[in-house]
Amino acid sequence: MAAVSAYRSLLRSARLAFQGDTRMLDAAKQSIRQGFRDKASLAASDPTIQPAIQHALDVANFLKTNLVQGKRDGTTYKLRIHEHTERGDNESIKLAGNNTASMGGVKCCSEK
Amino acid sequence: MLRTAILRSAAAATRVAVRPVPQIASRVTIAPVMRTTSFAPKAVAWQGIRCYAAGGSLDKEEVYERIRQLLAAFDKVNDPKNIKETAHFSNDLGLDSLDTVEVVMAIEEEFSIEIPDKDADNIHSIDKAVEYILSQPDAY
Repeated sequence: MAAVSAYRSLLRSARLAFQGDTRMLDAAKQSIRQGFRDKASLAASDPTIQPAIQHALDVANFLKTNLVQGKRDGTTYKLRIHEHTERGDNESIKLAGNNTASMGGVKCCSEK
Repeated sequence: MLRTAILRSAAAATRVAVRPVPQIASRVTIAPVMRTTSFAPKAVAWQGIRCYAAGGSLDKEEVYERIRQLLAAFDKVNDPKNIKETAHFSNDLGLDSLDTVEVVMAIEEEFSIEIPDKDADNIHSIDKAVEYILSQPDAY
C-alpha cells in the first residue's frame, strides 16, 4: 500500500512540476511507470523495497519543491514559482549548516 | 437538443415581442413592423444567453460515458467489452494496483478535481468512481 501511495504522490508531483510541458510530463510518467514496474514483482518482505519507496518519495518531494519551470522570454527567463516551491529567506542563511533548507538533499557550497 | 432549445426560445421570443405591440401601437404612431424587428433580436439574444447559462450539474449517464471513454483509451484494459457500469478495475478489467492509481489520476484530470488519497484508495470500480464524481460539487 505504501508503494501505491508513493506512486500516486510521485505522479502528482510530476504533474505539478511539468505542468503544460507535455513532452517532459510524458517522459517523466514513462520513467516513473518503468521504475515501479521493474520492482513490481518483488515480494512484500524484500529488504530492498523500503529504500526504493523512500527514494520514490524523495524524488516526489524534490520535483515538487526544488524544480522550477523556466521559459525563455527574450534574453531573460520567466520562472513559474508555485506555492510548493521551496523558498529560503535571509534568516535561513544565518543558520547555514543547520539545514533549514533541504536544497533537494544537495549540500550548499558553504556547508562542509 | 440545442437546436430545439434555440427554436423554442426563438418562438417564445417572437410571441413575447409581438404581444405588446397592439397596446403600444394605439398610443404611439410607429409602424408595428418596425417595432417587432427592433424588439425581436434583443429578446432572442437574451433567451440564448439563458440557455447557455443553464448548464446544470453532471448526470450519472454522462459521468459514466466519460469514464468509459477514458478506460477505452487505456491500453492496459484487457477487453473494452468488459467495461460496464459495475466493472471492477482489477477483477473485471485486469488492471493491477498501479494501473488503478493511473486510472484514478486520469479521472481526476478528466473532471478537473483532486481526489484525496484516502478517497482515491477506495475507488476500485466504475460505479464507485461515478458515485464519487457525482458527490463532488466541483466536478465538471
